[in-house]
Amino acid sequence: MTVVALRLAGPLQSWGSRSRFVRRETETAPTKSGVLGLVAAARGMRRSDPLEGLLGLRFGVRLDQPGQLVRDFQTAQRPKREKDGTTSWSSLPLSHRYYVSDAVYLAVLEGDRELAEGIDEAVRSPEFPLYLGRRSCPPAGPVAVGVSENDLEGALASLPWMAGTRQQRRHRARTVRLATVCDADSEEPGGELVRDVPVSFDPNRRQHAWRSITRGTVEVDNPHGVADADTGDEHDPMAILGG
Amino acid sequence: MFLTKMPLNPRRRGARVLLSSPQALHAAVLAGFADARSTAEGRILWRLDTYDRHRTVLYTASPEKPDFTHLVEQAGWPTTEAWQTRDYDGLLDSLRPGQRWQFRLTANPVRSGRRESWNTTKPLGHVTVKQQEQWLLDRAPRLGFQLVSGRAGAEGAAEPDLAIVDRNTRRFQRQGNPVTISTATFEGHLEITDAAALRQSLSFGIGRAKAYGCGLLTVAPPPRSDPA
Repeated sequence: MTVVALRLAGPLQSWGSRSRFVRRETETAPTKSGVLGLVAAARGMRRSDPLEGLLGLRFGVRLDQPGQLVRDFQTAQRPKREKDGTTSWSSLPLSHRYYVSDAVYLAVLEGDRELAEGIDEAVRSPEFPLYLGRRSCPPAGPVAVGVSENDLEGALASLPWMAGTRQQRRHRARTVRLATVCDADSEEPGGELVRDVPVSFDPNRRQHAWRSITRGTVEVDNPHGVADADTGDEHDPMAILGG
Repeated sequence: MFLTKMPLNPRRRGARVLLSSPQALHAAVLAGFADARSTAEGRILWRLDTYDRHRTVLYTASPEKPDFTHLVEQAGWPTTEAWQTRDYDGLLDSLRPGQRWQFRLTANPVRSGRRESWNTTKPLGHVTVKQQEQWLLDRAPRLGFQLVSGRAGAEGAAEPDLAIVDRNTRRFQRQGNPVTISTATFEGHLEITDAAALRQSLSFGIGRAKAYGCGLLTVAPPPRSDPA
């Protein structure tokens, strides 16, 4: 199998899977529908185009830098031209929008070699602008990481830590344990269900199906680490007294 | 002499009382001894090591074995970890010049000062990290050790392997009167220069405020990765 890796980093990201009405939530990790949408945009697909080609991909994400949750309380007004030529403003519903700020994620898609290479190429020169879950959240830096011959779990465990240098320096240990969220096998018990498989992005008939996920962790090297993780920094004077 | 290690549970109500006031913890430690007076061997010294929010360890050095049942009941881990007491004399007798140890010390670095309106001098706490480090470096020869030179500093000169890992200003009441002590917790590597003087420092403590958790120096074997 071949995997294509994407680095999703930006000042704001928003990955909703269950948003309704005026409360637009975000997950703490990128959603499959959001990332497939980004890939579809890069390939120049229209919203009403069929998505079958992409739905066979296995998806996994690693939380390289968790970031912070930000809430935006949003007010909006709609202009209305009156008959006498003046403009009046009517308020739209107040909404709460949630974002993850200053986060870095590694998203990995596993599929056929041809498809993976096509995605990598498309992300490097996208047809439509790329954004991280919401139109107002552009990515910071290149999204494409590259294609490699590996499986999903192997890629998540072997790709280097993508967090910023400052974060890596602050985390002093030589290795770091990162959380992952992956597609689960449909038969596997104990999977968590999220409504996160895009059936159609058609704005008139948007549809999402259920997807089961598993959460895990992987350990990767910290290139800026200086301290040993396993030797605790606790001073133990009992050690020489037969304690 | 005996060295005692006792982990406290900082989330218990009894521990909150003890951790908030060195005066209260002093009384609780002394209550663990039938005779709390100092002897020719040494005196009661204690230190509170806080590593994170859930890990607080009380170390005590004392001429007699303590009984900390009351502390365990109020503020400890009664069913998992009570306290360990170990004979300290073996280590104290085996100290030789030239040995290298990793150490930890919480002290009350002060200087003697006189302000305009005062007619006598009073101990005033050192404030900055530099002053506090210098305080220990100045005293080290008298206390029986010298600081091992660490890796070369930014300017290329080797700096002593000494770090202040925690600094605090404790304010509490003693018989209704306010007490303020500034503490600094030192960690680093020492090399013994005078074994008798270091034995004195280990069993009688260093600096002021010894009743309030200052002055207990403990040593541990240096980590294996240490080139020295």
